[in-house]
Amino acid sequence: MSLLHFENVSKSYGDEEVLHDVSFQLDAGDVEVIVGPSGSGKSTLLRCVNRLTEIDDGVISLEGEDIHAMDENTLRRRVGMVFQDFNLFAHRTARGNVTLGLTEVLGLSKHEADERAEQYLQQVGVADQADAYPAELSGGQKQRVGIARALAMDPDLMLFDEPTSALDPELVGEVLAVMRELADDGMTMLAVTHEMGFARSVASRLAFLEDGQIVERGPPEQLFEQPQHDRTDEFLGELTDLNR
Amino acid sequence: MSVDETEPAAVGDLPGRRRLVVLVVGAVFWTWLLTRWIYHNAALDRIFSTLGLPGLIRSEVPVRDREPWLSPEPFASAADSVASFGHGSGLPEVATGWLVWLCDLLAFSIESAPALAEGAYVTVYLTVVSILLGLAIAVPLSVARVYGGTVLGRLSLAYTELIRGTPLLAQLFLLYYGLPLASVIESLGFVGSGWVPGPAAFVAIVGFTINSSAYQSEYIRSALQSVDEKQLVAARSVGLSKWAGIRHVVLPQGLRYAIPGWTNEFVYLIKYSSLAAFITVSELFGRAENIVTDTFRTTDVYVILALFYLALVLTTALAMERVAASVAIPGVGQPDGDR
Repeated sequence: MSLLHFENVSKSYGDEEVLHDVSFQLDAGDVEVIVGPSGSGKSTLLRCVNRLTEIDDGVISLEGEDIHAMDENTLRRRVGMVFQDFNLFAHRTARGNVTLGLTEVLGLSKHEADERAEQYLQQVGVADQADAYPAELSGGQKQRVGIARALAMDPDLMLFDEPTSALDPELVGEVLAVMRELADDGMTMLAVTHEMGFARSVASRLAFLEDGQIVERGPPEQLFEQPQHDRTDEFLGELTDLNR
Repeated sequence: MSVDETEPAAVGDLPGRRRLVVLVVGAVFWTWLLTRWIYHNAALDRIFSTLGLPGLIRSEVPVRDREPWLSPEPFASAADSVASFGHGSGLPEVATGWLVWLCDLLAFSIESAPALAEGAYVTVYLTVVSILLGLAIAVPLSVARVYGGTVLGRLSLAYTELIRGTPLLAQLFLLYYGLPLASVIESLGFVGSGWVPGPAAFVAIVGFTINSSAYQSEYIRSALQSVDEKQLVAARSVGLSKWAGIRHVVLPQGLRYAIPGWTNEFVYLIKYSSLAAFITVSELFGRAENIVTDTFRTTDVYVILALFYLALVLTTALAMERVAASVAIPGVGQPDGDR
């Protein structure tokens, strides 16, 4: 059974259809990278998975269970999300950002939560900044705290919504390194990113989304070397040029 | 111009020597005021009496008979001497008149200070109790307004507009003269006995609490709306419910944003609380009115009264600056520097 299953998912905002009949599956341990031009529905697709956005049509299931039959807070505990502009809780330290979900959602004691936060901050390499507030961290550090915050909830699946797009170029590497490690540890990941190096070396599959539809999907080598559609070739070509 | 210079000027920003002067004057005023309150406090009187020290605290002395601790005599005689010097020297009235008035005012201040101290005590507890009770109402009101959906939001708006749209004095009159609130409070038994204030003070607190909660909820509402929406999205994405997100993420930030506006409301309430005098509460303004009736020295009394209010307001502003500084978090509630 697949971990995540999209079956004929559609979503519109008013008259504008953002997702049109999207279907795909993700197995446990898969790293799926989604690329596509701006406005193609990438972020909406991610937000449907943890129901920050509700779909109009189709079924999304997590481990065979329809996510719309689940309590949304339970669903979100099982699906970690990392945002483009970090969205760290501005009034809490790095540690406090990680512990909030642990104490309020998982019901851990403050002591247990602090210990677990320490462990995850260590994992993403910002343990020495545990007492710093978001405003005192660099962009790369903020995003790594964001990853630790999602990871500490022990999710089945991690969503990354353009995690490096808001970062200064020299800070992108440290965040990608953390994501790479996560993938190596077998975390299932669904990532919207335009880091083609990452997609090539880490992704098990690459999907090209345009106008709310998956134009082409397959192993990254295949999409890069033998794309079936001209649009895929064109778009990936442009991205690769930009990344160079 | 740097960001600092656009901040409102306050006592805490004064340079060294002027700041020192303000602090010393404030320390003397408050030492005197607090000692005065303690000296005539009925609750303390009872405690010390049971401890075998019945004469230490003098709460039984009626406010009108309370003696000043300084003698007004030197200032009164100084006024007399300046006046007779003025007459003798043939100088025009304006040359010495102001000095006579000033010496006279000082003597008069000393005489009226004990009664005003008692009034200030009432003003302070009316204001502090009302602003805090009002805050307890204002927080849920503002949350309902921003996050409560149509029904709760409109109810909150209706309450706020009704209270803000009608005069406070009319609200107090309605509560005190129109409703049987005072007699209900009086029937509780303990009201007005010993150190517990009378029913009118309770009615005033109810009125100020209701009135202030409406204004406070507006300050807090706009502060909540200035918290980035994505903060709540992030809270929800780790599995917090909407209300848990509001409580743990939006409110801690929003309430910090609200401090400057809230301080403004606090300062207003100190002055608005003078309306309690119109429902028979002998707070600062009420005491001043009594002195006017006894002495007919209208101008002098109101000059002294203004200084009392000024002292209370400046103290509050300074204290709230400290509060704001002590709960400050980098990046929350202050201009976000380019990092």
